[in-house]
Amino acid sequence: MIEVQHLTKRYGPVTAVDDVSFTVERGEILGFLGPNGAGKTTTMRVLTGYMPPSEGKAIVAGYDVFDQPLEAKRRTGYLPETPPLYPDMTVREYLTFVARIKSVPRNDCTKRIGDMMERTRITDVADRHCGKLSKGYRQRVGLAQAMLHNPDVLILDEPTAGLDPKQIIETRELIKGLAGDHTIILSTHILPEVSQTCQRIVIINKGKIVAVDTPDNLTSRLRGSETMYLQVDAQGADAAEALQRVPGVTRVGIADARDSVTGFEVDSATGRDVRRELAAVIVGRGWGLLEMRPMRMSLEDVFLQLTTQDAAAQAAPAEEVTHE
Amino acid sequence: MNNILAIAHKELKSYFSTPIAYIVIGFFALLWGYFFWVMLLYFNQQSQLGGLGGGGSVDMNQQLIRPLFLNATVILLFLLPLITMRTYSEEKRSGTIELLLTSPLTDFQIITGKFLGAMGLYAAMLGVTVIHMVLLFSYGNPEWRPVVTGYIGLLLMGGCFISVGLFISSLTKNQIVSGIVTFGVFLLLWVINWPASFVGPTTQSVLNYLSITDHFDDFTKGILDTKHLVYYFSVISFGLFLTARAVDTERWRG
Repeated sequence: MIEVQHLTKRYGPVTAVDDVSFTVERGEILGFLGPNGAGKTTTMRVLTGYMPPSEGKAIVAGYDVFDQPLEAKRRTGYLPETPPLYPDMTVREYLTFVARIKSVPRNDCTKRIGDMMERTRITDVADRHCGKLSKGYRQRVGLAQAMLHNPDVLILDEPTAGLDPKQIIETRELIKGLAGDHTIILSTHILPEVSQTCQRIVIINKGKIVAVDTPDNLTSRLRGSETMYLQVDAQGADAAEALQRVPGVTRVGIADARDSVTGFEVDSATGRDVRRELAAVIVGRGWGLLEMRPMRMSLEDVFLQLTTQDAAAQAAPAEEVTHE
Repeated sequence: MNNILAIAHKELKSYFSTPIAYIVIGFFALLWGYFFWVMLLYFNQQSQLGGLGGGGSVDMNQQLIRPLFLNATVILLFLLPLITMRTYSEEKRSGTIELLLTSPLTDFQIITGKFLGAMGLYAAMLGVTVIHMVLLFSYGNPEWRPVVTGYIGLLLMGGCFISVGLFISSLTKNQIVSGIVTFGVFLLLWVINWPASFVGPTTQSVLNYLSITDHFDDFTKGILDTKHLVYYFSVISFGLFLTARAVDTERWRG
């Protein structure tokens, strides 16, 4: 549905996006992740036809965004970082204008606008001026604007920025509900968001792609060893020594300790399940096993690892990483 | 066409939902009314002198309507930058330009729409002056041709200023900068032929040709000359063309 091939965008001497390629299948939600200034917005702007690429090309819904911009734009909905609202228009007037410039059939217009306001929960502000809306409402009016002409492709630049937690959950649900019928790219720097909404993630840093994978694969791929968290009703040094002796355990660290309860982080070689042995040792010594759970590397860790340069080279050896 | 009208309609509406339209129309009405009153006093004096047999006939077209039109030019120099200064600048500043440029619209449609929107407000402005003309026609009997051509001339001259203003507005996201530069350029275009009588014949004709206001003169005399029509339409097209280039360049530069 979306095909990006060797996309490069330079602003004068600065290369904002450097040889980026990826594809998005129909009905998929792709998360675009990266620190501020990584080139997310630039890539999205090229995809929406806002600006042409310096090199490479982007094909959206079967049309090259540069050669057939009108066809591509007709099939794309875009929510920029700041929702493009006209402060002097009411929400309804604004959506009516958007419907007109996006060639929504006239007889369908009122119904479609009502529908969209319903879905994005902005019906109660329909007759308020856009300039007087709170950030959360602006964001949702922007979302309604992007979806108004029922595009195949939705490109959302930080759709949940500025929303409160309840609205974030609602918006996520809304976006998830759209997948299937729509192909969605959304950018964010909020990590739980991608792991909860997206099927695949593209991590971009300094204009280059450093990883493309599913959230699960990304977290496991970068995990060199399995880590277990144990909470034991025993004295720290004593128990640590005992745990260390369990076969397969590579490292034991004390994570926290209060009163007589100690928390341990136990590393073991990948693929080796040491849970039974650990439990047996603890129970055998007569200590209380209060908690045992696997610690997964969070996406935060993955992200930090990938976006610091050395780790990036290690995670994606095929990619040449430029040091500027 | 529908797209162009959608943009034009939006522009016009945004003028009227902010104080701009009311201020511009209000001041235009005030200044035009003031000129009208002063020139009417002068005209009355002239016609009384004429009535005493001081020689020469009085002509309402020549001595009242024509000077009124010519003076309106000066009002336009001041007021039209206020109409055009925000057209592109505001969209760029607030980011709504992203909506327009990612919608299935061509640059031509956006620019023409914006131009027509500004022309709409300008036409509304001129509409106010019809009242004065109605008064003149009901109490006197001026010729109607120079009045009609005068209005055509005013519209076209204003169109030139608006298209130049649109271009300047497309260069910056700062409304104030846009307004001041537009005003400066308008003034220059107005006075450009002042040195005409001191220079050689070639330079003189070039300078006269460049002066947007100079071409208006014939319209006030009731003459609809193709030369001037071609000139005005060229300037308007050129201004819109430059705007399109500026929008496109901006897109490449990012």
